[in-house]
Amino acid sequence: MFYIYLAILAVVLALTVWVLFDTKKFSLQVTAAMVIVPLLLRLLMIK
Amino acid sequence: MRVTMRKHTITAIICLAGALVASAVAGASFLAMRKPDVIVNGPGVSEKKMLSDWFPGLKGTPGDTEVYILKGADDGASMLILGGTHPNEPAGHLAAIVYIENVVPKTGTLYVIPRANASGFTANDPQEGAPQRFTIQTPNGPRVFSYGSRATNPVHQWPDPNVYIHASSGQTLSGSETRNLNRGYPGRPDGTLTEKVCYGIVQLIKQQNVTITVDLHEASPEYPVINAIVAHPKAMTLASDTVLGLEMQDIKISLEPSPVNLRGLTHRELGDFTDTLPLLMETANASQGRLRGRTDEALVLTGKDKWYVRAQKLGRLYVPYDEKGHPIEERVGRHVTAIGEILTSWNLEHPEEPLEFENIPGYEDILAKGVGAYLLPAPAK
Repeated sequence: MFYIYLAILAVVLALTVWVLFDTKKFSLQVTAAMVIVPLLLRLLMIK
Repeated sequence: MRVTMRKHTITAIICLAGALVASAVAGASFLAMRKPDVIVNGPGVSEKKMLSDWFPGLKGTPGDTEVYILKGADDGASMLILGGTHPNEPAGHLAAIVYIENVVPKTGTLYVIPRANASGFTANDPQEGAPQRFTIQTPNGPRVFSYGSRATNPVHQWPDPNVYIHASSGQTLSGSETRNLNRGYPGRPDGTLTEKVCYGIVQLIKQQNVTITVDLHEASPEYPVINAIVAHPKAMTLASDTVLGLEMQDIKISLEPSPVNLRGLTHRELGDFTDTLPLLMETANASQGRLRGRTDEALVLTGKDKWYVRAQKLGRLYVPYDEKGHPIEERVGRHVTAIGEILTSWNLEHPEEPLEFENIPGYEDILAKGVGAYLLPAPAK
């Protein structure tokens, strides 16, 4: 269960980074950047 | 076309760099909480062990925690003090440390676990705005202590189920309660990390034949069970005598029977599953309440909060509340003194099996001098 959770997390993080580079809308890029922070911290099991 | 792409790629790189910097700064801050508080061995400490010495299944896990043993010169009864069951209730944690750093048992044995949920001290609760740590000034300089989470760090136990089912009773609670140490007793050797810690504490009580167990807590001022002792039926006589002793010192405290249908708590399960006499004590902590304003170190230490004063005037609280708040000295003093009264009551009832500790700080002394006066100098780094 734990590793499935991490795999889902990694996919969501990758999609978020993809959106960050794909979109031309600056506000969406900022939003994606903010979403990356908690996803990354959890993927690294820091928070 | 090429210019537009280049522009949004550049802004994406800048945003990603910002996210990485923010992650690094936040990550360093969160990782710093994993460093345990300094606790100094007092004159009465004869041995320091780990909970995994009683339950090896905890060894090497974030749930393993220190057990301080203070053994008297003469044999007698024994007591276990649990601090830090909920790491966002600092008076319980500090009162346990005051016992470790000051008390000298004369007869009997004292076991102290100051960080019962060690994992809970490595994080604090999201969206609460609580400080990560607070500082107590002592005559020898500042001592810093963690202000943790009510529950086990989700990094150490995840994911939560939708519904938490208490193993031995089938009681159902919200999923996050699966990480609440005081809902997991008597624990399971093959359960979650939280249940393993509960199991380890139960093994300590059983193997050492602990006579009395005291679990130190704090509660929100709007919570009905506050400034109270909660006792298992078999500890009710001891608790009643303790309440009388405290009232004679002008310390107002109520006595609550452990509810039969509220399972997983120390005051219920330790009484049902072991021979110990379990008691749980609560003081008033505004920094964990729902009605509080700004949540900072000052609130943790002073308990001063204008919103709680207002709530008191509206009759919404279960504890007196004015502009003086409920400072940490009062809250730690209540716990320290109440344990002293438990000892007095036990010795009156059981002179054949005494439990005598010396150098317990007095309530008025803690109020006057502060908690810091009863903390030893931290060793130089």
